[in-house]
Amino acid sequence: MDKKSAVIIGAGPAGLAAGYEFIKQGIGPLVLERSGTVGGISRTESYKGFHFDIGGHRFFSKNDDINRIWQEMLGSDFLQVSRLSRIYYQNKFFNYPLRPANALFNLGPVESLLILLSYCRARFAPQPEESSFEQWIINRFGERLYRTFFKTYTEKVWGISCKEIKADWAAQRIKGLSLLVAVSNALFGGGQQAKSLVEQFNYPKYGPGMMWQRFKDHINAGGGKVMLNCEVSSVRHDNGRISKIVYFNGKEVQEVSAENFISSMPISSLIKLLKPQPPAEVLQSAEQLAYRAFIIVVLIVDKAVLFPDQWLYVHSPKVQVGRIQNFKNWSRFMVPDQSRTSIGMEYFCNENDPTWNMPDHELIEFAQREMAEMGFGPASQVIDSYVVRQSYAYPVYDSTYEKNLQNIRNYLYSFKNLQTIGRSGMHRYNNMDHSMQTGILAAKNCCGERHDLWTVNEEKSYLEEDRTVREIPTVPEKVLIKAFARMDKFAFATAFGAICGLLVFSATMWIISRGGDVLNSHLRLLAQYFIGYTVTVKGAFIAFGYSFFWGFLFGWLFAYLRNLFLAIYIYRIKRKAELLSLKDFFDNF
Amino acid sequence: MVKTEMKDSRLGPEEKLFSGVLLLNAKVVGLALGVIFGLGIFVATNWLVIKGGSRVGPHLILLSQYFIGYKVTFLGSLIGAAYGFALGTICGALMGWIYNRLATFRQ
Repeated sequence: MDKKSAVIIGAGPAGLAAGYEFIKQGIGPLVLERSGTVGGISRTESYKGFHFDIGGHRFFSKNDDINRIWQEMLGSDFLQVSRLSRIYYQNKFFNYPLRPANALFNLGPVESLLILLSYCRARFAPQPEESSFEQWIINRFGERLYRTFFKTYTEKVWGISCKEIKADWAAQRIKGLSLLVAVSNALFGGGQQAKSLVEQFNYPKYGPGMMWQRFKDHINAGGGKVMLNCEVSSVRHDNGRISKIVYFNGKEVQEVSAENFISSMPISSLIKLLKPQPPAEVLQSAEQLAYRAFIIVVLIVDKAVLFPDQWLYVHSPKVQVGRIQNFKNWSRFMVPDQSRTSIGMEYFCNENDPTWNMPDHELIEFAQREMAEMGFGPASQVIDSYVVRQSYAYPVYDSTYEKNLQNIRNYLYSFKNLQTIGRSGMHRYNNMDHSMQTGILAAKNCCGERHDLWTVNEEKSYLEEDRTVREIPTVPEKVLIKAFARMDKFAFATAFGAICGLLVFSATMWIISRGGDVLNSHLRLLAQYFIGYTVTVKGAFIAFGYSFFWGFLFGWLFAYLRNLFLAIYIYRIKRKAELLSLKDFFDNF
Repeated sequence: MVKTEMKDSRLGPEEKLFSGVLLLNAKVVGLALGVIFGLGIFVATNWLVIKGGSRVGPHLILLSQYFIGYKVTFLGSLIGAAYGFALGTICGALMGWIYNRLATFRQ
């Protein structure tokens, strides 16, 4: 057993990135992949020369290191694509992110007015309780807009009512809500840009699979080994360390030992494969972690142009399809014949539910019917088709997942030479770049560095470790906190009142001390406001009392208004940031 | 210009944004108020000097009861500005000091 040897389970973005980092550190890892293709859920499948993604994958990262690695791998094979994705609803196309003029035109004046009224109602009389996703969205957009643009699609993706989805989940899904960042950007400009709003993104000429193939080649060339069709059957451990992995390579059962183990397989599956078995409560937690699955029905249509978008979000409740990919609009190289179009009808489901278990030919007929119903052409135009089922596509953030995941994490911490990475490996909604980051950091940990992988994609703490991410305020937090601290009204009123009182008191005493015709001094005019005031010692005290009183009132009002306007300003910035972030909402699925 | 006093260092930055209490930098407040007072008197005096007339600044001259040597002339405007600056600085610094003491005490 090599002191620095490493075994990586899974050749998705996270596992391959870990392999890449090991090669960089001079270690040749063994990467075991269950399927016959690298890339995991970001792989590219091929059928008769047509290439297609399992869901679309844009290559866009705020992390410079990840961008650099992508460029290093693909170079000129990286295409720059102008994004176009719209929402299909009521047989109309709505710009995404939503644009008021376009939405108004498509919805019509009556519906738009009703949406506006519903929005106003939500703003002025929000629901007091905000525990569900439904309530969360309604309080921000109004019920009508929620029913139009949020309810159907969200329920299609997650397969449960929006009433059952926790509000926390919505808040977690929406990034860029850091008030400090929003305030900083509002004041000084610059800063973050919501990912979905990036109008251009990179995309490999032949789909994401091309990228992962390069990673595979790089690892193999660097002394590592990526083995496909190798299914891990058990993970043996002893004395708090993983000792060996048993896998089946399609022909025979093999064992492999190493110093370090990194797993990107679904964390619940990993728990079940551990030998000896984990405690019952850990197994139970693993059992309760849920994943959403996904079916893509690829229809090859004998038509050059169907729609110009790379993908459509289908919000129409009349059809079951959730998203439609148009692969040639991602890259023209995705289809072998430009007179034909391949579209991917995406159905979100649970493993072994009726949709998942539907035979391929039924799924194809179903997808063809829906395509025709949406007005993209009759079934007769479909000349070929292909079905891909993807299990463990989306980790489900249900009401128990946090507790279950914590149980599992606590147990896995007991293994000194095991790390879990990637979306499924961490049961976390990581995008490709985040998954890769976890892989890279895990590999670095094996080489002596200390990184907490669970802070990746948790923006704040992640930033503290990795300054390459630009989602930080343009001015230091401390400065912003100082600038927006509230003024103590009572203290300011007292201080201001005291100064006013002292000024008038001193002025009166000064005149008295100078002598002469004191009583006829111009200062006596103050008596018009301060009843009982005279230019005398007694009058000086009376003036102090009056001035203090009025100064106190003025000071309190000043501090109150200062705090109020500041709060309104901050509230407006937060609302704006919230709206901007919500524009990104559907891209997070 | 400002310092802040935090209620709890364990608070998140967004909570801090609202829980922080503004503390004034007394010297800076004094300096700012001094400049405002000084400039105010300088401008007010010279405005009347430029306007001219048979009696220049019959009311503003009353300031001379407090600011010895002050006149409604250009030279007087400089003297008045100096007095105003001194008074403003003292008032501002004192106000900042009182505010800070009270705000800290109330924390």
